[in-house]
Amino acid sequence: MSTQRPLTLEAEPARYLWLIVLVLGLIGLTIVLMTAPAQELLGQSAEAIRGALHGTAAGLFMVTATIGLFQGYRLFAGQARSVAELQVGSVVNAALAFFTIALGNWVYIPYRVSGGPRSYFLEHAPEIHKVFFEFKEFAALFTLPLAAAAAFILIFYGASAVRRKDLSTLVAVLLALVFFYFLVAFGLGAAVTKLKSV
Amino acid sequence: MSSPSRDDEASDAPSGAALAAVLAASLGLLALAMAHVLSEVSVPFKNAMQSLGNLWMPGAAGIGPYSGKETAALLVWWLSWAALHAAWKRRELSVGGVAAVALVLIGVATTLVWPPITELFVHH
Repeated sequence: MSTQRPLTLEAEPARYLWLIVLVLGLIGLTIVLMTAPAQELLGQSAEAIRGALHGTAAGLFMVTATIGLFQGYRLFAGQARSVAELQVGSVVNAALAFFTIALGNWVYIPYRVSGGPRSYFLEHAPEIHKVFFEFKEFAALFTLPLAAAAAFILIFYGASAVRRKDLSTLVAVLLALVFFYFLVAFGLGAAVTKLKSV
Repeated sequence: MSSPSRDDEASDAPSGAALAAVLAASLGLLALAMAHVLSEVSVPFKNAMQSLGNLWMPGAAGIGPYSGKETAALLVWWLSWAALHAAWKRRELSVGGVAAVALVLIGVATTLVWPPITELFVHH
């Protein structure tokens, strides 16, 4: 008679996995910094550091929002395996929504100054500011309360949020909305930055 | 005997607290959209939004009335969340019904901040 091992990751291999990820990350960062010096990555503008930090936060948020979408799908399909995993993911998701918005405010200052990208767009292609940028700046704000609500429900209800179909569906919808509004803001923000950065 | 894992811990709290969080989020977003539209149609309201942001937000002068719109959204979101949580935390409510209302509010907010729609209010 054969016995099946449960599909769980043991603690020791998990630690090795984190170590491997850390080493690979350091190798990747070293290669990037050697082949593309920091100044080239950031750009020549005096305000480039603001854009770089906002972009980094948005890049990390893209990862967690995508993971959130996947976790939401599994929750909806009744395949979620770990409440703790959902709770950590949703809190990180909400925290990154906050940091991306706060850093977005910071980068918005040089965007609005006279002679900045806003002036440039209003003079050469007003619809880029008046339609795409303005919609992006509000769509980005939608992510925070939705992500916070999802995180709150998962923490407040714990395993009940997974077991109750109505609550798991609600959280799945919230995480899908976070991904949608993030995607709108990120896509339009990247396009605007490509046309004229701060 | 093993202690229950974290995943086994379940709160049997009624649905009210979850729905308070969701409805408050949608009310905050609607407040954001309303503040934006009113700023576009009324100069005094736009100035009020600037003043509201200046009260507490670092760099508010640099981002204009957007700071006040964010503040208005935060205030409505947090205050309505506190009030709804207190009122609903012990009540079992229809998740589908309240969630549907929240989704409609989010949809209305999204529509109002779509610039071609906002423009319609400016021209009337």
